[in-house]
Amino acid sequence: MGIAVTGLGIICAIGNDAASVLGSLKAKQTGIGPMRYLQSNHKELPVGEVKLSNEEMKQMLGVDANAVISRTVLMGAIAIRQALDNSNLTNSKFKEGKRVVVISGTTVGGMDITEQYFMQIKEDNALLPILEKHDCGSSTREMADLAGLNDAEVCTVSTACSSAVNAIILGAEMLQNNEADIVIAGGTEALSRFHLNGFNSLMVLDKECCRPFDKDRAGLNLGEGAAFIVLQKRPESEGIFIRGYANRCDAFHQTASSENGEGAYLAMSKTLQMAGLRPQDIQYINAHGTGTPNNDSSESAAIRRVFGRDIPPVSSTKGFTGHTTSASGSIETVICILALQNRFVPANLGWREQDEACITPTQGIDNISLENILCNSFGFGGNDSALVISKEQGAGSEEQEDKSINFLVQRAEATILSPSGELDGGTLRKYISSGEARRMTRLMKAATITSLKALQEAGVESPDAIITATAYGMLETSEKFLIDMLENGEETLSPTLFMQSTHNTLSSAIAIRTKCHGYNMTYTQGKDSLDWALRDARRLIASGKAKTVLVGSHDEATPTFQEFFRRMGKPVPPMLYSKSIVLTAVKR
Amino acid sequence: MEQLINDLKLQIKEALHLEELSLEDFDENTPLFGEDGIGLDSIDILEIVVLMEKEYGIRMSKPKEGKAIFQSIKTIAEYVQENRKK
Repeated sequence: MGIAVTGLGIICAIGNDAASVLGSLKAKQTGIGPMRYLQSNHKELPVGEVKLSNEEMKQMLGVDANAVISRTVLMGAIAIRQALDNSNLTNSKFKEGKRVVVISGTTVGGMDITEQYFMQIKEDNALLPILEKHDCGSSTREMADLAGLNDAEVCTVSTACSSAVNAIILGAEMLQNNEADIVIAGGTEALSRFHLNGFNSLMVLDKECCRPFDKDRAGLNLGEGAAFIVLQKRPESEGIFIRGYANRCDAFHQTASSENGEGAYLAMSKTLQMAGLRPQDIQYINAHGTGTPNNDSSESAAIRRVFGRDIPPVSSTKGFTGHTTSASGSIETVICILALQNRFVPANLGWREQDEACITPTQGIDNISLENILCNSFGFGGNDSALVISKEQGAGSEEQEDKSINFLVQRAEATILSPSGELDGGTLRKYISSGEARRMTRLMKAATITSLKALQEAGVESPDAIITATAYGMLETSEKFLIDMLENGEETLSPTLFMQSTHNTLSSAIAIRTKCHGYNMTYTQGKDSLDWALRDARRLIASGKAKTVLVGSHDEATPTFQEFFRRMGKPVPPMLYSKSIVLTAVKR
Repeated sequence: MEQLINDLKLQIKEALHLEELSLEDFDENTPLFGEDGIGLDSIDILEIVVLMEKEYGIRMSKPKEGKAIFQSIKTIAEYVQENRKK
């Protein structure tokens, strides 16, 4: 049985549905242009916006025009509805007796709304409910409900810009493991002033249209959008299949990619291995290709390592859509499916001059027979993933999965419940040098200490996989960055704060520390986050994909955050919570 | 110049959370990057860029041009001396 794609939906800068996206791709028409909907001072920065206002999207979804709903949710709900319609599964019929799971990748979540109302919320109790929809998990729940999937289980993964591909990988794994019958997986991300300014503080935004792989490339353009695919296990040998996939970690730096692209290389190699394909079986690579000097040379190095001299046509489609961050993986997966179905290779817009350090991208090919496409998706923290999308389901993994003999044993556990002496002084120094500690927030220190303690106790130096569960992620840094932006304007914001605002900051910091290039995942689904993380660990161990898994549950609060809870009359979350568990496989 | 060097030392120490570094092992010629220096990275360069704008009104748009300027406190001070707007 293969993991078949039985429906798709997409909304992005080059179209509000699959047909218009296909039209723009074939006409080589970019969707990047001057800012129209985002209310930012940085008008000099071109963006890839969805060409609809929030009001227009609410109308499309048939919801009250006055309802406060994040653009992330609106776009996601539209894409999910399209995917369901496209799959020929009418809502009422397909849900009967079926386990339906919606898996979304996002990092920004409801930030577009939070940043708009934050200062007012501080004063006005009537606006407090807006904050309850801020976190990524809540935005996925709301989106599934708006798409008519009220009964479906929902899950949110957040590995920065590779989130959506990791959502698809999780969906495929759940189907393989018989935990679901129908999965709707993808990602959604709206432009926000928060992350536009964040990327701007990292000086990686081009003031012109981006030029991936070009010699004079000067950064990326941010985009927005959502794409979801319906996945089901199907016996047919032909169709559209997610034939192979892998999630690996560069374990190099929080924002930069390693020179030789180790994480990307591992992700691509493992994906091909799982698909049972050789490099020469791939007819097109949809690159991550953001247009930053660092990503494109690192990705090129990795592609060269995998493909040698015979590199198939490669293009980055970010010159069309902009970098849609957490949604980019599913948007590009849908673009690959459209290419496969319509026999063409999308162009790499903006490329002019060869860079020695980069591959030579294609300017687009028509009438080409495509069987297998490799789709790359990389993120901050070196969260690198890849998929193979194929017309045939293939023979399956070459790896022998020894399902019967592994079971899970909890080896060790370490917990820090409040900011105690452990975060400075003796315990801290035992695990973290002063050089490492200087940029770490309390939560990062706590997560690192509990992880290292648990690993040490379990006698494991570097685990095979690292999985983090966090309901709210990096609150302290996110709040500082947000407040600085709202109070002092959109200039001179701290790149360090932004770099450490993504939910996957913890998982990747621990990967860097333990030199773990293996599977690296972050779940952010409210109070269910740890449950999802443990389910994943169990799946990895049962399928023989990992023998030692580090699972962490880490959350923090800030005084402002606690005050919001007090005002809502809800239990106040603790200032710090960090628990790490090492799970190992034991042969029966 | 000496005053500027001292100011920069303190400002950089604070911005980059180098609290544990004593001012003595951090002289104006100490290389800021690389293993025989303080060992700062690309994100630190960006933080110094922010600092330059906040404190001295100097806007740098390309991180690349920063590399030469941010060799040591001394090279930064010379650059600030020439380009400061406040």
